[in-house]
Amino acid sequence: MSSTTDAVSSAATESSVGVSRAPKKRMRKALGTIFWISICWIGVVFLLAIVASWIGLDDPNNGDFSLINSSPSWSHPFGTDDLGRDILSRVIYGARVSLIVGFGAMGLGMSIGGTLGMIAAYRRGGVDTLVSAASYVMLAFPALVAVIAIVAFWGHDIWKITIIVGVASTPLVYRVIRAATLSYATREFVTAAKAQGATDTRILSRELLPNVLPTIISYFLIGVATVIILEGALAFLGLSVPAPTASWGNMINESRTYLSDNPWLALFPSMAMFLFLIALNLVGDALRQSFDAQESKL
Amino acid sequence: MSNEQSSIAFPSTEELSGPLLRVKDLRTTFSTPRGSLTAVDGVSFELGRGETLGIVGESGSGKTVLARSVMGLLPRSNTTQTGSILFEETEIVGAQEATLREIWGAKIAMVFQDPMTSLNPVVRIQRQITESLRLHTSMDRAEAKATAISLLSQVGIPSPAERVRAYPFQLSGGMRQRVTIAIALACSPRLLLADEPTTGLDVTVQAQILDLLSSLQSARQMAVILVTHDLGVVATRTDRIAVMYAGHIVEMASTKRLFASMAMPYTQALLRSTPRISQPSHTRLIAIDGRPPDLINPPSGCAFAPRCTYATDQCRSERPPLRTAPEDPTHLFACWNPLQTGNAGSITTAKGEN
Repeated sequence: MSSTTDAVSSAATESSVGVSRAPKKRMRKALGTIFWISICWIGVVFLLAIVASWIGLDDPNNGDFSLINSSPSWSHPFGTDDLGRDILSRVIYGARVSLIVGFGAMGLGMSIGGTLGMIAAYRRGGVDTLVSAASYVMLAFPALVAVIAIVAFWGHDIWKITIIVGVASTPLVYRVIRAATLSYATREFVTAAKAQGATDTRILSRELLPNVLPTIISYFLIGVATVIILEGALAFLGLSVPAPTASWGNMINESRTYLSDNPWLALFPSMAMFLFLIALNLVGDALRQSFDAQESKL
Repeated sequence: MSNEQSSIAFPSTEELSGPLLRVKDLRTTFSTPRGSLTAVDGVSFELGRGETLGIVGESGSGKTVLARSVMGLLPRSNTTQTGSILFEETEIVGAQEATLREIWGAKIAMVFQDPMTSLNPVVRIQRQITESLRLHTSMDRAEAKATAISLLSQVGIPSPAERVRAYPFQLSGGMRQRVTIAIALACSPRLLLADEPTTGLDVTVQAQILDLLSSLQSARQMAVILVTHDLGVVATRTDRIAVMYAGHIVEMASTKRLFASMAMPYTQALLRSTPRISQPSHTRLIAIDGRPPDLINPPSGCAFAPRCTYATDQCRSERPPLRTAPEDPTHLFACWNPLQTGNAGSITTAKGEN
């Protein structure tokens, strides 16, 4: 039987395997240029949406009637719409609606669906059966039809739309997070944490959440993109935020009538939506890939 | 970081009396789609303070389930347990999870088989060690960190002050298992369950880990249940050995006695299937023919009878009770045709390596 000192010295040889250094730097490289460009773009959109009122933009809702459907110029870089409103200003103010609905609804969906998904995957049994059954029922119902029906009856200010879309996204989020948690909930380290006396809440928040977090983040971003499209679809049906408030969806909807006279009116909000969504998807995808790579290394 | 900094008091064995753990007629049954499966069937044993018990058996013999039963760690939804597990004054069978949670980590701890899966891959080692310290003791963050570093140095991890910041994937298998041992020892448990702690490891590291466990055990007066399928592992490191087969303890004796005069053909078969350094190279190991019985429909007689070379009609029809050896009342075995001491001739060589 060897003494502890022997064990120490033998462990020293083992340690030559070593701790890998500077994982941050490697991660920055692995995510790639496109990822960082996308992040910058999302940041710019956020910043503009926040400071829109203070950067001297034209009033998005009251136009100059002497200058309707004008092409881009120095005073109106994106042109003006059929009521002489500045399109640049409306696109930037419209970002507010898309961001609030997109991130707000996904935040709501993630906190309800994600929490339920993690609990169901960890507890299994009755809770799982019940919540999963409820999620199937909700999924079986065509979400867009349900959203349209509720919006039509309950009204459609921005917060109501956020809540409705958030609740509608819950079952999808639930299924994804439940599946992601399930693969960790049966791992030995959960039993090991339990064997150390950890409570269920602790296991969920400190053991499982860090493992599921990559899935949560990447799914969240892709979910935000989907919700922004959904807002566009609602707007197209005239069921998003009421006029004259600008949203990307509203603007595209309004542009339909003037497509041949003033293509700029359709182009800029569509471009804004397209670029923002592609940035969200690229970021989500790059993060997911990077997390997958890390996972395979473990 | 010196060990004196650790503010945990080791329990002194003098002031406590009676066995630490008393398992009586424990029966653990799982309900499966095919029917109920009795994984542990009528097991009784006692474990003294600071004693080391080896539990040996093939895969599926119920040793892991026994270890987890002792801890009360089995999933509740499909498991039924009868009998009694008395740990100090606490009854484990049927206890509320809140009661068990106070024992878990603080008084009984477990080292798991595979350090690749029993450590959380995305949590720093420091937090995995301090978790139970913060839970069971009143230590603040800084004290817990100092204790974690001292524990890492006790389990032989070099430059522990830096390693606490590492993630599990930054460490080798042997180092990871040292970390799981440090986690298990954090609150100075009275009983450590080690469930095949070396199976997932390199052969060269196996011995180091086992020696580490032995040295920590004697330093801390901690009882250990060492679960393994390898008789060679328990031979030098246990006080007593229980051999399990098909959910039963089929032989139990002090380590010395077991290797000197094993009574069960199964124990002998296990030993013969273990490679030994004293054998010339290229010696063919004798595998045990057949497979362990189906525990959903266990055979009526001795469970080992179909694979046993000494089996008689009595073995096949009647289950042998656990009885004591005439020469040694602490030696228990369940066999109608126990091996004569002479039969265990090959065992002397096994003792020779110690």
